[in-house]
Amino acid sequence: MTPLLELQDLGVTYRTAGGEVEAVRGVDLALEPGETVGIAGESGSGKSTVVASVLRLLPKSAKVTGRVLLDGEDVGAMRWGRLRAARWSEASVVFQGAMHALNPVRRVGKQIAEPLRLHTGASAAEAEARVHELLAQVDLSAAKAKAYPHELSGGQKQRVMIAMALACAPQLVIADEPTTALDVIVQAQVLDLLGRLVEERGIGLVFITHDLSVLAATCSRIAVMYQGLIVETGNAKEVITAPRHEHTKALAAAFPEVGDPVSRYAPATAEPLPEEGERDPQSPVLLSARELRVHFRDRAGSAVAAVGGVDLDVRRDEIVALVGQSGSGKTTLARTLLGLQKPTAGGVYYDGGPVPTSASGLRDYRRRVQLVLQDPNSALNPRHTVYESVAEGPRIHGLDADEPGTVVAALEAAELRPAEQYLTRLPHELSGGQRQRVVIAGALALNPSVLVADEPVASLDASVRGEILGLLLRLRRQLGLAGLVITHDLGLAWNIADRVAVMYRGELVEVGPVEQVLLEPRHDYTRALLAAMPSPEPDDVWPAG
Amino acid sequence: MSAPVWARRRAAAVQAWREFRTNTGGLLGAAFIALLVVFSLLAPLLIDQDGLNVVTATGSPLEPPSGAYWLGTDESGRSVLLLTLWGARVSLLVGFAATLLSVVVGTLVGVVSAHFGGWISAVLMRITDFFLVLPALVLAAVLMAVLPKSMWTVIMAIGVTSWPTTARLVRAQTLSVESRPYIERSKALGGGHTHIIGKHVLPSVLPLVFANTTLVVGGSIIAESTLAFLGMSGPEISWGSMLDRANQSGAVTAGAWWYLLPPGVAIVLVVLSFTLVGRALETVLNPRLKGDR
Repeated sequence: MTPLLELQDLGVTYRTAGGEVEAVRGVDLALEPGETVGIAGESGSGKSTVVASVLRLLPKSAKVTGRVLLDGEDVGAMRWGRLRAARWSEASVVFQGAMHALNPVRRVGKQIAEPLRLHTGASAAEAEARVHELLAQVDLSAAKAKAYPHELSGGQKQRVMIAMALACAPQLVIADEPTTALDVIVQAQVLDLLGRLVEERGIGLVFITHDLSVLAATCSRIAVMYQGLIVETGNAKEVITAPRHEHTKALAAAFPEVGDPVSRYAPATAEPLPEEGERDPQSPVLLSARELRVHFRDRAGSAVAAVGGVDLDVRRDEIVALVGQSGSGKTTLARTLLGLQKPTAGGVYYDGGPVPTSASGLRDYRRRVQLVLQDPNSALNPRHTVYESVAEGPRIHGLDADEPGTVVAALEAAELRPAEQYLTRLPHELSGGQRQRVVIAGALALNPSVLVADEPVASLDASVRGEILGLLLRLRRQLGLAGLVITHDLGLAWNIADRVAVMYRGELVEVGPVEQVLLEPRHDYTRALLAAMPSPEPDDVWPAG
Repeated sequence: MSAPVWARRRAAAVQAWREFRTNTGGLLGAAFIALLVVFSLLAPLLIDQDGLNVVTATGSPLEPPSGAYWLGTDESGRSVLLLTLWGARVSLLVGFAATLLSVVVGTLVGVVSAHFGGWISAVLMRITDFFLVLPALVLAAVLMAVLPKSMWTVIMAIGVTSWPTTARLVRAQTLSVESRPYIERSKALGGGHTHIIGKHVLPSVLPLVFANTTLVVGGSIIAESTLAFLGMSGPEISWGSMLDRANQSGAVTAGAWWYLLPPGVAIVLVVLSFTLVGRALETVLNPRLKGDR
């Protein structure tokens, strides 16, 4: 039987101004119908290039060697017309970033119908019927065909993308990071849907992601890519439970299993963590919210409670993880705690007193409570050097005593060593992890007592993730720095946090020590979050939706 | 500390110049403008100003071009060549001064309105809209009629009517810069309005303003010529006032093309140069206008 997709010694080289870059080197891979193969790897490992080469979607600057066989036919040798026919009707792609892959000014029904009209020449009525059928397959009501992309949630948009990929009934579907931008509960739904489609229709699925735990839950075989090479391939369960290659080990460790004592207070970091010192269980409360409410007005003018009555304490020498789905009000709560958003009612207290509202009072307060943003790529001014970015805080506060010394010390504390080497660099010359360290150094330069981190590792690669989490934990142990870490990732809380606060629709539904909340959840929503985490248990490959 | 910053700025300027150089039109325009500016500054040393005085002029009225007067003479017997060269001074001065006024006001209004938002933005933008819909020439004419007739009134009139486009442009760019997360980070660090505007907003807005400025200069020179042609100018010799006098002294019916063409061609060349330079700068400084890379 011919495999559905076969890559034979595939190599892709990009010509760039800086010379030739080998993105993919000697990749061999085969996929049978009804099988799911996962490709794991970090950004830059070449996994998206592999996808693009299957449908010959690579830019002109790419040179392809080796062969891509689609149902036994060489894609590289296809004439243009044949290739067009093969695209979408034989193999289709669920692109990453459903937010941007849909045309914002066209109704989604029309967008799903587009490949139908192009490939099958279906009439408008036939196409419409087929669109409704496809929407039903991805659990969306037919009425959604009339919606514009912005009227759908992230998960719904992702399902529209899947419906689009299925439009011409292809034998092969390639899903490129289909769940990366989604939160856990929606991710579980999308994974479940893809699994059902493979089972019911016998299509072949290539699943690409950086998150090994997602692959564990969906794939029978996994190939791990690193620097353009497949470094490890094999049965999904074996690869995850007994990784052989160093890089696979790093990827596997980056997504800890909640409840695994090995990864408790032990993020995957190369540097040793300092010993836990003497901790005072009743250390003073630094930052607290009392009955905090924040309301926004929606377009109709009615009030929407983003934060509805939250009580939260952050003590000295403690990391609190604030977990919840996107849209649960986590970020609004953080912004309000920092004084970037005015509360509608209730108050924020620092060190016993209310947070001032005057401009100068707020400025002093912000020396004490600092923010680390989600995306380090945009959190630094691209025109400012590392030195300027880190020195920005001290300059605002007029702390001009030994500015270079402060900056170097902050960079050292954020583990950018030797600090001198980084001072004159610009953000685009740094990697994602290094940029996040610069952001953290900028906060540390003010010698704060609380660090509020909004999804500090969500946009970082798996191997960097452990390092940044390790840094946060080290900072707490060495400096007693309190942390409020906002995340959708329960594994992160298990890795570094002391207490967890679970937020759901603007309210804290469960607050308590990590072990208690994550191992013996009391609230239904916490249970739902835990259940939605992809589980590597082999018997439970497709959790019942 | 500031050494690497300056080194980087210098490198950026060198890079911008390298890209600018590849644009032939922009380069030609820049060369022409540079030549004209240098000449205008040195003109009082090079030109015998007696030749510009009606009383001391030596030629006879409306002489056609000859060896003595390369571009002929005007109705008072002055050399048209000298008048045209001298007129560049006023045209350039009015162009630059009016542009400076309009860019300063426009940038201020644009940045303030985008940064503070709310009612401040609403008020400022309504004022901007008001000036945007006013027929610029009519407003300038009214100002000229009310205020004393001088070059500075012309500058005022042009400046007041041309700032709204700059304000709109700057506002849009400021809004886009202010939505970036590094502004939020700066606020969380404790940065106030001056800090955010001075450190983050202006450095990324000014290059665009600069490119826009060169385009505004061309527009201002045209506006000055138009006003002068309509008889609204100070007593100084400018290209517009030359055209006005040529028109009034019957040069057209006399067929004295040498009196009409030089100032007209001069206006076209200067405005064309500024437009070429402005477009070239825009492509260099505004990454969005660059082609596929």
